[in-house]
Amino acid sequence: MSFCLNGVGLTHANGFAALKELTLKAEKGERIALIGPSGAGKTSLLSVLGTALAPTVGTAEVLDFGQNFRSTVALAKLRSRIGTVHQSPPIPGRQRVVTAVLAGKLGQWPAWKSLASLLYPLDIPGARAALERVDLADKLFARCDQLSGGQLQRVGIARVLYQQPELILADEPVSALDPTLALATIRLLVADAEARGATLVASLHAVDLALGNFTRIVGVRAGQIAFDLPASEVGVPLLHDLYASEGDELPVQAHESHFLPPAAANDAATRAACC
Amino acid sequence: MKPTERDPAARRRLIGGLATLVILWPLFQAAEVKPGVLFDPGNLKVIGNFLAAFLPPETGTEFMGYLAKATLETLAIATAGMALAFLIAVPMAYLATGAGREKATLNPVTRSLLTILRGIPELVWALVFVRVFGLGPAAGVLALGLTYGGMLAKVYAEILESVDAAPARALRHNGASRPLAILYGLIPQASKELASYTVYRWECAIRASVVMGFVGAGGLGQLMDQAMKMLNGGEAATILLAFMVLVFAADGFSGWLRRALDTPPANRASPFGWRSTLFGLAVVSGIVASFAYLEIGLKALLTVEAANSIGEFIAGFFPPDLSADWLAKVGQGIWETLAISVVGTLLAAVAGLLLALPKWRAPFSFLLNTLRSVPELVWATITALAVGLGPFAGALALALHTSGVLGRLYAEALDNAPPAPGQALRLAGAPGGFAFLYGTLPGAAPQLIAYTLYRWEMNIRMAAILGFVGAGGLGQLLYFELSLFHHAQASTVIIAMLLLSIAVDQASAWLRRKMN
Ligand SMILES: Nc1ncnc2c1ncn2[C@@H]1O[C@H](COP(=O)(O)OP(=O)(O)OP(=O)(O)O)[C@@H](O)[C@H]1O
Ligand SMILES: [Mg+2]
Repeated sequence: MSFCLNGVGLTHANGFAALKELTLKAEKGERIALIGPSGAGKTSLLSVLGTALAPTVGTAEVLDFGQNFRSTVALAKLRSRIGTVHQSPPIPGRQRVVTAVLAGKLGQWPAWKSLASLLYPLDIPGARAALERVDLADKLFARCDQLSGGQLQRVGIARVLYQQPELILADEPVSALDPTLALATIRLLVADAEARGATLVASLHAVDLALGNFTRIVGVRAGQIAFDLPASEVGVPLLHDLYASEGDELPVQAHESHFLPPAAANDAATRAACC
Repeated sequence: MKPTERDPAARRRLIGGLATLVILWPLFQAAEVKPGVLFDPGNLKVIGNFLAAFLPPETGTEFMGYLAKATLETLAIATAGMALAFLIAVPMAYLATGAGREKATLNPVTRSLLTILRGIPELVWALVFVRVFGLGPAAGVLALGLTYGGMLAKVYAEILESVDAAPARALRHNGASRPLAILYGLIPQASKELASYTVYRWECAIRASVVMGFVGAGGLGQLMDQAMKMLNGGEAATILLAFMVLVFAADGFSGWLRRALDTPPANRASPFGWRSTLFGLAVVSGIVASFAYLEIGLKALLTVEAANSIGEFIAGFFPPDLSADWLAKVGQGIWETLAISVVGTLLAAVAGLLLALPKWRAPFSFLLNTLRSVPELVWATITALAVGLGPFAGALALALHTSGVLGRLYAEALDNAPPAPGQALRLAGAPGGFAFLYGTLPGAAPQLIAYTLYRWEMNIRMAAILGFVGAGGLGQLLYFELSLFHHAQASTVIIAMLLLSIAVDQASAWLRRKMN
């Protein structure tokens, strides 16, 4: 088992219930896409999985670690096994790309190594390898405030690739990338998870990206799970239902009206890659 | 992949690090840093006895009367000095700034005049004026007016240059004169910053007026000086407490004022409501009351007689003594002063950062506030007991006061640094300390460095005068020569102080550019 949420509810400090009675389970190595309208609770759900927020009701177990039980040492150990790709990459502008990538392993490195790396990056080949996979090897020693928004987001992804976590959480990981690069990056995350047998949970606003690359699709609406199906069983009516609050158009990468021949989900992704 | 790849920045970092060491090492030598002396049991006993003499604080009615009078006097000196500074600063800033000009030319004459006004520490002005006008607050007010006038003018000019120039330019192209273009195009953007800087300076003026009392310019400082000279610890303690209360109150008041500047204007024709009117009246009456309380007849200062005595006095300073012997001595003083300022600022930066880090702020805020509300000169009398007269005492005194100032600013800057990067690293399992080093610190670093360098610019001026209480450097030379009425020699020292502070301003500006 990779994680198991049981009747989880999350109420924010202002009293707003972002998640209600939510139950979701995943085995090791599964690749799940979260889709749903804005404000549905995708980020909230990922925050609970990432141990950033503790559920206010119900139980959450992540990588065999009951979250409701909290000891800081064990929690830090657990967290070093979880990698998160954030929507806006949380990287200081004045940091160099190499340092930002190496920071992915701060939870695993001994203290001396983390300290020494501030003076001289101790794993340059490792950082370069991760950056090569997102096509940014030439920026290894650049400063992050010299990168474009999309490049910075890819640095955030390289950091997670370098961290090699057992559970990858991604919150709209490609929102700053153009369609071609977005597809390539999603494929990269999926391939990385597949190769290492890691679990991947990604929230996406482009339905075609989700259907084309993930095996399991979880629709979230109003803090609850609307559906939880293999990609091949997710049809257009179901999607229109999910996005009812946002009008008739479904959010996609490629702006063609007939993007989704049911059951041939991969085509949408292919098309997205061509435009 | 090349397995033997090197970090291209490593060589530069290494050279930078080595260069820093090579520069700092002799400076630490010159400051005679001997941490061992601090823990010498004999010295510890002396300090213990000294501090014990501070207890219990004096509370006799007669003394409290003096104290109240001195406190009022300090407030009045600060307020009157600020009023004078403002009068000097507004026209000077107008002349000096490139803002509102069609071609941004800077006026070199006013700029250099401002540099001279600012470059000579207020305490030196005070020392000089005391000799012209005799002991008393007039010297303090004039000294504050001149130095702060220079500082205000420079910063006003810079603020006006830093806001968007387009509105003023458009007005000028429509035929508006330069003053109107500034009033309508620039002041609305800059007013908040201008006002908040002025209030902040007033707060500094209170601190400065206390310090000037040490050379006989009235107020709490003079009382403190007397108490220390008579070795009356109890009185000194009460004065120090009164001073702390004053600083805290001024702090709170200026914070309140700056927040009040944020309230949007009411919906009516006049931008001035009853609150601003009341405030304006309070400021004006405060200034009038200050001059009246200090009994400074400006007329008395503007007589022919006074002008003559000033003229004679100033003439005594020319020509400066430029003999090789004396220059060598002054050079030694410059080096020592530089060392005091650098070592003091560095120690303060380290201590301030350590004190800014803890999450549970209350006790540390109190400690920082206490450190910064004791003036450097008072710290210097204590550190001189601890490590003996000399530059190390000066550096320590500077470090104690500055760590209070920097610690508070650092804590604020760290608080305002973007939290997301550190948070993200903690979520990836990084221990708190490393999440801070890799995530939070890089975001806050430019701010921290800027604060430290700005503070160094102030500290070089302070280091130049710590010698007045025997803490080495140029101050010691100046105090000595002035006491002996060796004006030609004193003049060389003052010129050296001026040049040194200009050089440090330049170095700090260069370093700030480099770090960005
Ligand atoms: N810190 C917070 N305090 C109060 N309410 C919050 C907080 N964070 C999120 N919410 C609310 O919880 C609900 C779910 O938010 P969440 O960020 O999980 O949505 P989302 O599905 O990620 O949306 P989007 O696609 O726009 O990113 C929203 O209605 C939001 O307003
Ligand atoms: Mg979200």
